[in-house]
Amino acid sequence: MSQKPDDFQALADNPFYVLGLRPDCSRVDVEREGQKLLGMLGLKLKSAATYMSPLGPRPRTEDKVRAAMAALRDHEKRLAHEFWASLPPPAAPPKPPPAPETKGPGPAPFTEAFAALGWRRS
Amino acid sequence: MTSAPLYVGIDLGTTNSTAAVFDGEKVTLVRNAQGSPITPSVVRIDARGNVTVGAKARRFLDTDAENTRSEFKRLMGTAQGIRFGAAGLERRPEELAAEVLRSLRADVRDQIGVLPARAVISVPALFELPQTSATSEAARLAGFERVELLQEPIASALAAGWTIEDQGGAWLVYDLGGGTFDVSLLETRDGLLRVVGHDGDNFLGGRDFDWAIVDWAIAQAARDGVVIRRGDPAHAAAVRKIKLAAEEAKIELSRAESASITVPGLDVGGASHDLDVTLDRETLERLCAPAIDRSIAVCRRLLQAHGVADGGLTRVVLVGGPSVMPVVRRLVSQQLSVPPAEGLDPMTLVAQGAAIFAATAGLEARPSAIEQVRGAKVWLQYPAMSSDLTPHVVGRLVERTGPVNSVPTEIQLARADGLWDSPWTPLDEEGAFVLPVSLVPRKPNVFRLTGKNIQGNAVTIDPPTLTIVQGLTISDPPLSRTIGVALASNDVRVYFERGAPLPARRTFTLHTVDSVARGAEKAVIKIPIVQGEYEQAHLCRLVGALEIGGKELKQTLASGAEVELTIELDRGGRMSARALIPAIGQVFEHVAHLLVPEADPEVLASTVTATRARLGELRTDAFRRQARDSIERLGQVESALDDVGRDIDAARGGDTDAAQKARRTLIEVDAQIEAVELDRRWPELDREAREALIWTTGWVQDYGQPHEQTLYQETAKAVDKARQARDPLELQRQLRLLRRLGSSAYGRHPEAWKHRFEDAAADAGNATDVARAQALVKEGREALAKGDNEALRRVTQKLWQLLPSAAEDRRKGHESGVR
Repeated sequence: MSQKPDDFQALADNPFYVLGLRPDCSRVDVEREGQKLLGMLGLKLKSAATYMSPLGPRPRTEDKVRAAMAALRDHEKRLAHEFWASLPPPAAPPKPPPAPETKGPGPAPFTEAFAALGWRRS
Repeated sequence: MTSAPLYVGIDLGTTNSTAAVFDGEKVTLVRNAQGSPITPSVVRIDARGNVTVGAKARRFLDTDAENTRSEFKRLMGTAQGIRFGAAGLERRPEELAAEVLRSLRADVRDQIGVLPARAVISVPALFELPQTSATSEAARLAGFERVELLQEPIASALAAGWTIEDQGGAWLVYDLGGGTFDVSLLETRDGLLRVVGHDGDNFLGGRDFDWAIVDWAIAQAARDGVVIRRGDPAHAAAVRKIKLAAEEAKIELSRAESASITVPGLDVGGASHDLDVTLDRETLERLCAPAIDRSIAVCRRLLQAHGVADGGLTRVVLVGGPSVMPVVRRLVSQQLSVPPAEGLDPMTLVAQGAAIFAATAGLEARPSAIEQVRGAKVWLQYPAMSSDLTPHVVGRLVERTGPVNSVPTEIQLARADGLWDSPWTPLDEEGAFVLPVSLVPRKPNVFRLTGKNIQGNAVTIDPPTLTIVQGLTISDPPLSRTIGVALASNDVRVYFERGAPLPARRTFTLHTVDSVARGAEKAVIKIPIVQGEYEQAHLCRLVGALEIGGKELKQTLASGAEVELTIELDRGGRMSARALIPAIGQVFEHVAHLLVPEADPEVLASTVTATRARLGELRTDAFRRQARDSIERLGQVESALDDVGRDIDAARGGDTDAAQKARRTLIEVDAQIEAVELDRRWPELDREAREALIWTTGWVQDYGQPHEQTLYQETAKAVDKARQARDPLELQRQLRLLRRLGSSAYGRHPEAWKHRFEDAAADAGNATDVARAQALVKEGREALAKGDNEALRRVTQKLWQLLPSAAEDRRKGHESGVR
């Protein structure tokens, strides 16, 4: 299995993306959204099974949601994640999202990524 | 109308136990047959086998100690049997705890009219896995169908938060029980309670005050020429009587300025003596101060670990019987410069919080009502208790087919007070709905579910109602101690770091060290599971072991075979482990002896002798080096060893609890000595660090990938910092990282695997399976001749799995059979 650089993981599994929230959300939003998603995953609802990240759709699990909630409750950890999530995820595809990570390297799924993170290209 | 919910919480304490019930609005304490909310955790079994629990049993503690037992909570999780002489019975600690739980359960039935099937039971935050699982077992024996365990400080905080409005900020729960001390740092914001961290001492409590008083009373008696020894079995009865009198005096001194300790007719080695001494409050405070200081030191350690400055706390909640003592309240509040929370009952707060938590966990105490509702069945997910005023209710139809009239297509939730209704919401293609609901603060909110079919006619929904209680809730409790697997190298493979959110589950692939033949009776691969914050396995507590025995194996297992070990922890910290061996497709799930190891006084004594010898050597060396830190540390070790000696004496006198305390202190002493050893090794470690920096720099520069090079620079900086700070533990940690970086860069050198293979091949004669190792060496030579680097890497790695681990490391690593 090829190992992805850590930065990649940090972006794709960022708690804000996992919970489908933006970095300006309140603490109550984190709890409310987390509780809702845990409920939906508990009932195996397809609408909760994936989330959008700048790297494309990713599978969402109860463990990921719980870890995301724990990370965002901690003020310091949240700050670090806010930086990484400063870029909005693309809108979810209209109907069933394609299975994640099956395709080979194609065009970057989210080309504005670098600019949004503050990197500039001339 | 649906009846109010019923949630039961139980504080199963060392000295006293309490039950409370919560109906979503208020907490009520459950009174026992004597009318008291507090039931002493004392069990008596008479000659006919009749069991008495509580105050009635407590009366016999001094007159019939052989058949009346208390403080068994401190033995939970050990194999220690507790004898009842007259009935000729032996009971495990959890069986006695079950008697107390059974009695509280009956009290709930007498007061509320419902025999609870589910409850929350509190446990000390630093209870280890064996103690936790013994508590669950006690609940099962007491007839509970399901229980959740909750850490005591969280329970206290929850109860305090429910009672006191406006509790923003950081606060401390100082819980001094009869036998354990726990302190927790919490933070409340937006109605959500979060545990920031715990600390504590499993062997510090009100009991230490009692013993300090006993020792003082014995010293007073010695002035009159009466020699009473705590370690002498012949004096055990006399000591017990003095202890009871000491406890009473201590309680009296919470109000009075002086109290007398009077015990007539003490039997001291055949002679009879009367003890009559007066203890004043000042002396009591002097006697208790060392134990209180110890507890405050633990609080400071916790605050420091989380960067809370002096005066950074808004409140301290004092819990536990001993914390009623004015001296405790005064010293804690003064030294930590924080006001104590007023108006809370330290004796029953834990039980109250446990009952509130039962609501959070949705643990309705009534046995599941078999209500026959004819209607469309839905699965529901919602928080039974929520700090949010608008949480979500998620539902899904169980059956989506059937007569059109009985299948709902739209659903509505209506609050029972009639003041809020959700809009009619269509079910989606999966037959599901997600609806936010509006809650009335600090009340149980009942919602009625109704459905409409495609023609717009009403459809009954099963269940017809649901209840959500609004109030302060708690986030997932964090793990209080790191859990991992001891490896044959005496390292620890960490599974869950302290503070990880629960529940949690992780799998790692380990490799067996030895081969095990199928059917070999005595051959066993042991996978020890340890708990603790140290990197070396022998310094951590062994809390369980998974054993793979030759007898159960379907096929012979080669050394170096893969074992996929999964460890799972539930919300209450209960652990289960499972090992899958892919090569033979077999699963092992039986965790052997999840027990606190026994502490035999003789074994402990010989450990003390050995430790003293080591202490002597280290001290000479430390003086020679003029190492002040080490000298100071060794001074602490010495005084700890004196404590251990006293505890061993008490253990010889029959106090099994003291033996456990001694064993525990010895583990801590070991860690202190390890730190001194590290300090002594500093010059050597420092030299290793310099050398490692030199060789890794070259490799990482030439063969490292860009992200490795960045990481390398950071690590090199950290190494320098650790060298400057003279911090051996940190330096060791950074060195490991440095070496790993160097070695992975080196791995890209074209000849790297050739050198590694040659090294391993030279050692093949010592392999655990020589024949297989030789075959691998042959295979490797062929790969080398062909220039097949990938094959060479595979062979070398396999070969490494066969090389023996150092026997000493393995012994220290709890005889681990994996790496």
